[in-house]
Amino acid sequence: MTKEMREPTFLVLATLAEGKKHGYAIIQGVASLSEGEVDLKAGTLYAMLDRLTFDGVIESVGEEVVDGRLRRYYELTPQGTTLLGEESKRRVKVSNIALRRLRFVGGVA
Amino acid sequence: MTQRPARSGKLLRFYPKAYREERGEEIVATLQEAAEARVPRASLSDQISVAMYGVRVRLGLTSETMFGKALDIASIPGLVMGAFFGTYLLISGDLPVVSSRFFYPQFGPFLTVGPLFYLVWVLGVAVVFEWPQYRRRIAGTCMSLTIVGEVLAKVAHRNPNFWEIAILVSLGLPSLLAPDVYVTRRKVVPSLSVGLATFATLFFVSESNVNPGFFNSFYWSGTYEIVHRQPYVDVFLLALFAVLWITKRREVASAALILSSPWIIVGVAYPMSLQYLRMDSLNVIALIAWAVAMALIVTTSRYRPRPPASVDLSTLNSGS
Repeated sequence: MTKEMREPTFLVLATLAEGKKHGYAIIQGVASLSEGEVDLKAGTLYAMLDRLTFDGVIESVGEEVVDGRLRRYYELTPQGTTLLGEESKRRVKVSNIALRRLRFVGGVA
Repeated sequence: MTQRPARSGKLLRFYPKAYREERGEEIVATLQEAAEARVPRASLSDQISVAMYGVRVRLGLTSETMFGKALDIASIPGLVMGAFFGTYLLISGDLPVVSSRFFYPQFGPFLTVGPLFYLVWVLGVAVVFEWPQYRRRIAGTCMSLTIVGEVLAKVAHRNPNFWEIAILVSLGLPSLLAPDVYVTRRKVVPSLSVGLATFATLFFVSESNVNPGFFNSFYWSGTYEIVHRQPYVDVFLLALFAVLWITKRREVASAALILSSPWIIVGVAYPMSLQYLRMDSLNVIALIAWAVAMALIVTTSRYRPRPPASVDLSTLNSGS
């Protein structure tokens, strides 16, 4: 996996940080975290899930049938947890620098 | 197996059987849940995205496969190669026309609209250097403008040689087909060396009015003859592939083979299209070797079911 992480990937991992989730729950989680800005399509979701599983960042941890529909659950692996932690820290660090600079010029906050 | 709605189920036909069996029910369930929650248009876009991903999985064009990774590696170098190829043609074929245009006053400085195409590719590369993440759109734009331009120019008999345009357009294919992965500028800079190597190779082995060698340009854009030096290029490209493959740099080897494709194919197709050109048997052997190597890459990239994950159902009580 490349060091840089795109926003949708970050949002999927951040959604899974809450705990194991199935496909549509991840779509909902991403929409909620991004306040509706990121509308993950089903095809895009499964491309991401395949890639993240292949990279060892997430894993399938089981499945169940709810209302006649199969739900497969995914969660972060230890590697995924580390990756998300590092990316979150990086984003916080950059945001803090930006906010400090904005305060300095009397922009916001 | 749970009941599968017909419409969503049909979308699974885009996926290979093994993938369908492994993930089909799960994808249909997600589609159903999404369809219930969304407006019809959003539901349709969900279905289109599922179908498109199915085609990618079937063709092995995902970010996990060797083919997908090779296309990713070849994508921006392919565009750069196209820009340098265009620049080479401009220098070897089109600029000399300007100096001799008094022979053809009705056509202006250039005999064909080829230089416009080359300009599009050079601009495309400049844009992709700045925004590599838009490589697919940039490649699509360059390819479309070149194809449409070639067709329109043909009406006025001012189109460059078909094979030249075929090479140019096919160099955009890796960007168009590459999986949707994050592209950084770090991947852009090394591709410049690929472009420069292409230019140097063309200049060294080509044959034109300014530079006797590989392509023989007769004072107009894009008309060239493939001469006997092409097999050396083919042999070098295939040897490069073999060395990279044997030394386990297989994704880079596959990328090199992908970028070699138009040159190796045209090496046979172009003489075949002309009665008077003798086809070199080494070019045919190179094409066969290329086809075998490509088949190897495509076969390696076919979807294979994953080993079943360890499942602990007791942890699923809370659901989500």
